Amino acid sequence: MQHSAAPRDDVFQSLADPMRRRIVEVLLAGERPVNDIVAELDIHQSGVSRHLRILNDAGFVRVRADGARRLYALRAEPFQELEAWVSRYRRLWEARLDRLAVALERKKAGRAEEHKDKERNR
Amino acid sequence: MSRKTITIERTFSASIEDVWELWTTVDGIESWWGPEGFQVKVTKLELKPGGALHYDMIATAPEQVAYMQKAGMPLSQPCRAFYTEVAPTRRLAFTCIVDFIPGVDEYESAATVELTARGADTHIVLTLEAMHNEQWTKLMAMGWESELGKLAALLAKVNRK
Repeated sequence: MQHSAAPRDDVFQSLADPMRRRIVEVLLAGERPVNDIVAELDIHQSGVSRHLRILNDAGFVRVRADGARRLYALRAEPFQELEAWVSRYRRLWEARLDRLAVALERKKAGRAEEHKDKERNR
Repeated sequence: MSRKTITIERTFSASIEDVWELWTTVDGIESWWGPEGFQVKVTKLELKPGGALHYDMIATAPEQVAYMQKAGMPLSQPCRAFYTEVAPTRRLAFTCIVDFIPGVDEYESAATVELTARGADTHIVLTLEAMHNEQWTKLMAMGWESELGKLAALLAKVNRK
């Protein structure tokens, strides 16, 4: 059983903001310069820059310079971290129910065996 | 805000009595409850609302033993739960007290299992209450639980390019 630690607080905080989730959705199409993001979201550039900084600090995006432009792209790691944490609980129970199915089969097999023994001893 | 839940459904080719027995007896629980690589030993079972279900979870597989040691967790872990609803062969509800994860505050985690006979088979619906964690609840409330899996898979693909 993997008791992987919960993701850091800033990972949750980053996605709790609806505007930052919209930025994430824009970046899903691929790497984009800040201007494109500003155009898509229709909010002021300073607002977008602030959100991008928060996303960058939490590890959600990476940035690289292309001449005068700064290009932003998503990083997979924090999403994987969150997904692993959220689905851990479900997986734990899925695995447990698999073992319940096996235990039920065993029980049935044991009963059939018992029945055969009785027949034999009759 | 109502707490979000996870639902898992399964159909077993077994009678409803057999399924109920495996959920509610010492032998039954010990035969499947423990996670892979662990053995479960039931120390107390009071099958009634408010009654206790206590068991020790004992790491047996070498990799689990190694994992537990590395995580600074004991190899035998007492676990406590209590029943909240017991309606024989139909419905069972219980709450686990999770107080054994290093660095995580104690929390309660509730589960309900509903059994229905379907011919010779038994269908169960297992409802798990989201863990008592404010941030988890927030994220679930935003409907992002199912999104996260898709996002993670998509991004892993993009990053491999």
